[in-house]
Amino acid sequence: MPEAARQIIWRSLISFGGFLAVWQALVWITEVEPFILPGPLLVAKSLAGHLELIGGHAAITALEIVLGLLCGSGLGILSAISLSWFPNLRRWLLPILVVTQAIPVFALAPVLVLWLGYGLASKVMMASLIIFFPVTAAFLDGLRRTETGWLDLAHTMTAANPGAGRWAILRHIRIPAALPALASGLRVAAAVAPIGAVVGEWVGSSAGLGYLMLHANGRMQIDLLFAALFVLAAIAVAIYFTLDWLLRRLLPWQPDN
Amino acid sequence: MPAKNLEPSNELPSVGITLRGGNLSFADKPIFKDLDLDLPAGRTTCLLGPSGVGKSSLLRLMAGISPEATARVLSADDGGTITGRIAYMDQRDLLLPWLNVLDNITLGARLRGEAADRHRAMALLRHVGLDDVATARPAALSGGMRQRAALARTLMEDQPVVLMDEPFSAVDALTRLRLQDLAAELLVGRTILLVTHDPLEALRLGHQILVLSGEPASLGPALEPESLPPRPADDPALHSLAAGILRELAG
Amino acid sequence: MIRHMAAFFLLATFCFAALPAQAADKLTVMLDWFVNPDHATLMIAQEKGFFAQAGLEVEMIAPADPNDPPKMVAAGKADLAISYQPQLHVQVDQGLPLRRIATLVSTPLNSLVVLAKGPIKSIADLKGKKIGFSVGGFEDALLSAMLGRVGLTLKDVTLINVNFSLSPALISGQVDAVIGAFRNFELNQMDIVKHPGRAFYVEEEGVPAYDELIVVANAKKLDDPRLRRFVNALENAAQFLVNHPKEGWAMFIKGRKNLNDELNKRAFRDTLPRFALRPAALDHGRYRRMAQFLKDQGLIKTVRPVQDYAVELK
Repeated sequence: MPEAARQIIWRSLISFGGFLAVWQALVWITEVEPFILPGPLLVAKSLAGHLELIGGHAAITALEIVLGLLCGSGLGILSAISLSWFPNLRRWLLPILVVTQAIPVFALAPVLVLWLGYGLASKVMMASLIIFFPVTAAFLDGLRRTETGWLDLAHTMTAANPGAGRWAILRHIRIPAALPALASGLRVAAAVAPIGAVVGEWVGSSAGLGYLMLHANGRMQIDLLFAALFVLAAIAVAIYFTLDWLLRRLLPWQPDN
Repeated sequence: MPAKNLEPSNELPSVGITLRGGNLSFADKPIFKDLDLDLPAGRTTCLLGPSGVGKSSLLRLMAGISPEATARVLSADDGGTITGRIAYMDQRDLLLPWLNVLDNITLGARLRGEAADRHRAMALLRHVGLDDVATARPAALSGGMRQRAALARTLMEDQPVVLMDEPFSAVDALTRLRLQDLAAELLVGRTILLVTHDPLEALRLGHQILVLSGEPASLGPALEPESLPPRPADDPALHSLAAGILRELAG
Repeated sequence: MIRHMAAFFLLATFCFAALPAQAADKLTVMLDWFVNPDHATLMIAQEKGFFAQAGLEVEMIAPADPNDPPKMVAAGKADLAISYQPQLHVQVDQGLPLRRIATLVSTPLNSLVVLAKGPIKSIADLKGKKIGFSVGGFEDALLSAMLGRVGLTLKDVTLINVNFSLSPALISGQVDAVIGAFRNFELNQMDIVKHPGRAFYVEEEGVPAYDELIVVANAKKLDDPRLRRFVNALENAAQFLVNHPKEGWAMFIKGRKNLNDELNKRAFRDTLPRFALRPAALDHGRYRRMAQFLKDQGLIKTVRPVQDYAVELK
């Protein structure tokens, strides 16, 4: 195994182990009841005992998150490109976009669920909504901040046909130049999409980790609740780092300083 | 090195440029007013002047990338406009970091939706000595190599008019001399406006040398040295002329 | 100098320590949900002064999550909680130190509700249908018993967690039936919006009868004298409500104008006959039967002696 990969794994294990130690110490010191905050050992036992149950629900939530990321990012990318192409559209739509970000999702969730039903669609829509604005804003920002030198050069090259040139400049210069900004937006999206999926499940669902957590809470099985929560966190982390790795490979000209 | 394929293609004879009534103001202060400039066909005109006088703005006006500046007349002497017949080169290499050198050279064709002539591009890279890094990205090149790539891109455009805004000021002195020689060799026969702050460079490369000075800026009388450019960098006469010009600019 | 200061502080401490004996004892009660007609006896005990007469200053808190109140009491962060008998069985089975000390509503309120004009006329019609529920940790057992009686199992239906939007989910057709709807509340709600519902009462469909709303305390604090006083005040309120229902309503909405609407009026009327007339009394047999039912449904592991989780205070 390459040295760098081994180092990353080592470091992750150590910080994870540290986190577990702090958690257990907290439980011992505060003597908090297991039905409020169970210790890591109890949670591990619950995880092991309910592996199949948790796994099934985890797959569903993971699917919701990934689909939400794809839809939300796709929509965000298209919006950003449209808004950068039509400056008037930008003036009218940007305030509305900001509002979509400001409304807390759990206020929208019941409406969405009633409209789209209790299946996958409403959760995917929730996750998409949560990430739509960060992706749009990040990409739009990048599209609007293209290096003026490149634009000047491109204008001299396309002066004979400036109409077609505008599109060519967008396609060959503005968009590639804005990809690192888009990548930042996507990273934020990956971190935040799980929230949308879970809130969607809390409002109405028949499966998923959010649903399982509610169920466990109702049955006072707090260790199971935390086991599900832990798996949710693991999924979120896995998705984030996978996306990060993918972005690094797709944008090799932007190495870290 | 024989400079084959580097003269303008036979369909593109050299073209002179006429500018009449150039105007530029910034915050109610006129930078230049009613400025006239002629670029003789097939010759290199070097434009000198103190920093901030408006040399770059004048070049950008002619390149069509200065929306604030206006001109009463800006035309070619064969009757057409100069739109779409210009190649532009800046002191920044303006290479796109996500494309390799070859793709950067052929950027113009890609933007215009034309097929890129890869053979010609490789030949140009060979002439500037970059053929072995054709597939490398700009980040892997030195400053001098990147500016050579920019030069190759300018040549690739194969335009009768080439506008260069201090193209060699960002590299070290030795690389600058080499780039000046390369440019002079490869750009022969084209109508060139070269903005520079280095009087020696102007004297080395220019058929005519103009000084832009004053507020609002105006052009002084053209200096037309006897010999043909490129003139040798170690000529003492050239150096004393350069010193004279410097004194004039400073004083 | 130091000795004087120490004496002063000791004196001050004794004075302050002596004060509570004069003022009423404070008591925190966490409700199960926002104030609604199920809490009428509590409101009357407050407004008619029964709590004050018992030397109690009761603070009632509505929770954000109905699962929180018993946890808070078990953790010692609240004195009492309003909870549900079936959930108490499950909570105690999970090790929470809780004891039921009084009953608020002594009949089940939970029901399976369908649209009155809908196609479902009997439990057997639920086959292949979607049933919405709010998570209470008990709905599985209820449905299992009700379906089992007509030869169906949970696999014959699709359970969907609609959180607390029971009526909207049913009315909009997103689900065919809902469980966890309170017969005094949701039915009136649906009547008012002109989409009347039909209810199947769980205790008539194979589920043992139980107390829907109870008062729970921490198992280690049963000797607290305030608890008995609290239950006495509750009994006075229940008596008052039976004797003076109109005045009871006036007290329920006193200072709570937002509750003075058609829904609460109707719910109040429907809840009247269901309040425990003897809040302190405990029917051991009923609690034992519910525990056995829950064990048979797999919701709890063991059937404990009733006094391990429910008591009559002396």
